[in-house]
Amino acid sequence: MNASSNEPSARAINILLVEDDAPTSWRLQDALSKAGYQVRAAGTLAEARAALADGAPKVLLTDLQLPDGHGVDLIRETRQRFPDTEIMVISILGDEESVISAITVGATGYLLKDAFPTDIAATVRDLVAGHSPISASIARFIVRRTQNSVEPPPGPPLNTTKLTPREIDILWGIAKGFSYAEIAGHLGLSRQTVPGHIKSIYRKLEVHTRGEAVFEAVQQGLIKL
Amino acid sequence: MTEAPARPGPRDLRQWRGSRIIQYVMLQALIAALCLLALRQSLPEPPAEYRLSEFHLHEGGAERAVTLPLFTASRYAVENSPRFIAQFTRPAGEAGRLWSVFLPRFTNGVEVAVNGVVIHDSRRDPAANRPDRNTPQIADIPAPLLRDGVNDLSIRLFVRGPIAGFLDRVWVGPDEALRPYYDMRTMLFVTLPVVFSAWQAILAVILGIMWVMRRHEPAYGVLAAAMVTGFLQAFLQTPMEDTPLSRLNVVLISSAPLESALVLTFALLLCGWRWRRWWLVFFLPGIVLALSGLIGSHAVSRALFPFLGVPMVGLTLLITAFATARSWARQHNVAAFLLGCAATIMLTCWIVDLLSVFQIVPNRIFVARLSYSAILVAIGAGLTWRFARALNQVDGFAGRLVAQVREAEDKLKASFAREEERARAAALARERARLMRDLHDGLGGQLVSIVALSERGTGSADIGDAARAALKDLRLVIDSMDDIGGDLMLALGSWRERAMAQLRPHDIALDWHIASAQGLPVHPELRPWHVIQIVRILDEALTNAVKHAGARRITVRIETMQGADGVERGCITVADDGKGFVLAADGGGAIGSKAARGLRNMQDRAARCGAELGLSSGAGGTEVKLQLPHRFPDSDAATG
Repeated sequence: MNASSNEPSARAINILLVEDDAPTSWRLQDALSKAGYQVRAAGTLAEARAALADGAPKVLLTDLQLPDGHGVDLIRETRQRFPDTEIMVISILGDEESVISAITVGATGYLLKDAFPTDIAATVRDLVAGHSPISASIARFIVRRTQNSVEPPPGPPLNTTKLTPREIDILWGIAKGFSYAEIAGHLGLSRQTVPGHIKSIYRKLEVHTRGEAVFEAVQQGLIKL
Repeated sequence: MTEAPARPGPRDLRQWRGSRIIQYVMLQALIAALCLLALRQSLPEPPAEYRLSEFHLHEGGAERAVTLPLFTASRYAVENSPRFIAQFTRPAGEAGRLWSVFLPRFTNGVEVAVNGVVIHDSRRDPAANRPDRNTPQIADIPAPLLRDGVNDLSIRLFVRGPIAGFLDRVWVGPDEALRPYYDMRTMLFVTLPVVFSAWQAILAVILGIMWVMRRHEPAYGVLAAAMVTGFLQAFLQTPMEDTPLSRLNVVLISSAPLESALVLTFALLLCGWRWRRWWLVFFLPGIVLALSGLIGSHAVSRALFPFLGVPMVGLTLLITAFATARSWARQHNVAAFLLGCAATIMLTCWIVDLLSVFQIVPNRIFVARLSYSAILVAIGAGLTWRFARALNQVDGFAGRLVAQVREAEDKLKASFAREEERARAAALARERARLMRDLHDGLGGQLVSIVALSERGTGSADIGDAARAALKDLRLVIDSMDDIGGDLMLALGSWRERAMAQLRPHDIALDWHIASAQGLPVHPELRPWHVIQIVRILDEALTNAVKHAGARRITVRIETMQGADGVERGCITVADDGKGFVLAADGGGAIGSKAARGLRNMQDRAARCGAELGLSSGAGGTEVKLQLPHRFPDSDAATG
């Protein structure tokens, strides 16, 4: 492959791409293949499950609205079976509604369908390197949920009680458009530790089991016993 | 009772009323007949063996044999009081038993002597001397005075007028045989009137309170005054002799006509009549009597009483009877009906008393005063009935009120819900209009240009750019709808990401400077459409720098400036290091028409938000400076 020259380390990395719209799927495949990743494409939930049966991918990129089901189920299954797999949602708008529900079942961030090929590859590269990206709008959604309000704001339920004040500060910085370096400077952190904090934020927002979800919902007052 | 028509017409009404009057009169006649029947029943008497009715009357020096009961002249001087003398026999076996003299009825006072020794003088008990009360007397005969066999009994009768003196038969015998009859008469003629007077006192208090609380109903006040008068009359004593102090007491003799006048006034008011000044005439007899007592003497007022007091009582009863009958027939006034029945009873008794006074019936038991209790009962019952009816009306009114309030509440709730629904619909319509305008401004135009480009079949890169711009705009519109709590920095954060993604393929660097950690002031009045306009201005500046200026580096500076007036205003500057352009005198650029239109667009958008847009361009690049207002305007005034 011609991609071997620019990204030798990407050889071992295989990606499962689940996207039902063929042109979009081709576009993403092209961008990722050119960057040297091994891409397996699936158009439906069933195809994705079959592909998962063959072995764990390093990265799962999935759309949410699939012809035979919802991507959230796929993310949850993958998260439970393969804890080491990095998961990202492919989204048209990057809206909170879909992204947050994916984050709570184990996704870390999203990829816009119209992103430039270089950006697509860069995002996956960062993800594999352990740098989970978080967008300003998602950070904004999360921090606004941390503010106590009488009535929970509209949108998917989200438990932010585990976040530390520092993590919330980092989210505020991202939401307001500060770079990692600026945030680190303001908060007196080393720039390198910021991605670790973000990873931690993702982990804390994830609801691991059904029982835990119920427990947290009760704690947050979303369910009344 | 005959059947009254269920729904009387105008003509039937008089007939129906007439039949009711007849029914009423018949009922009153029945009541009067029952009264007479009851009055005919004579009171039980002690055994006849102890009765004394054959006396010798010593009167004015003469002596004659008389048979009791006996009426005498209506006035004697005290020293000339007639003396009744008789003899009675005590059997020999009775020596150990107490004997008494029982006088069931006399007018006005008696002095009893046995064997020449006075054993009783009723004048010591003023209550016993009132001619209107049928007070009996019993006198124990001290044992040493009594002899076995024949004893002498002497009774002096004191008569003060104005009515004739009277002495009923006398009983002399063992105390145990006589006293039950004495007790019974005391019960009837002494205790019972006290009970009624107590009742009058209670009524006086109740009616007085009612009148104080309801000043607009003088009937209660009048009746309360009547009750007070009656109460005073019953409990204040009338002394037998003329004394200086008794002058005031004499006024009490006028109490009966005064009370009558008050009761008459009440009855007329109760029957629905309006107070007329000439009604004061009713009080004339009472006032004349009182004045005669005060100015004249005891004797004068006594002499006047039969001519003023007694007719006044009768007149009151007659008028009351007529007025109540009329009120019952016309207004179905239950209280008037009860009062009418009571008036009939009392009128009957009054006539009987009158017959007694004129010695037409050989009896001297006055029942008019006693029958006054019937009026009191009627008043009590009538008041209770009115009170209960008023309570029922209040309950009904309260129930209606509750229902009406509930109805009004429901209506209000419904209208409130309607209003809320309307407000929500209006807000939705406004939001839809805004969204449409925003989509039209951005997405619509971009999609149209995609269509145009694809039809021309050339420049797939242009199509991609246009489509990407459309998506970007869609994200902007959606993003701007989010609640950012007035913090424009949160919107700029997303914009920075989009700007970086846009610049990356062109290898243009984005320098992002935030002068302070806070960035921009918070504007609680910030609305989504403000955000869209500001972001579009920034997008336009960015696009110009990329497309026309050939810039390599774009710097965005966000700062808060302290104005001369001490007000903090946010300022966003987008500067590039491109080739710049020459500004025309009118502020537009001497550049391509498309770019000029873009600049004009930016000015428009800034004006809508109340912001100031500053443009400077030169060889070193272009700088777009957006000065935010201190307060964002509420309405989108600049848009049609």
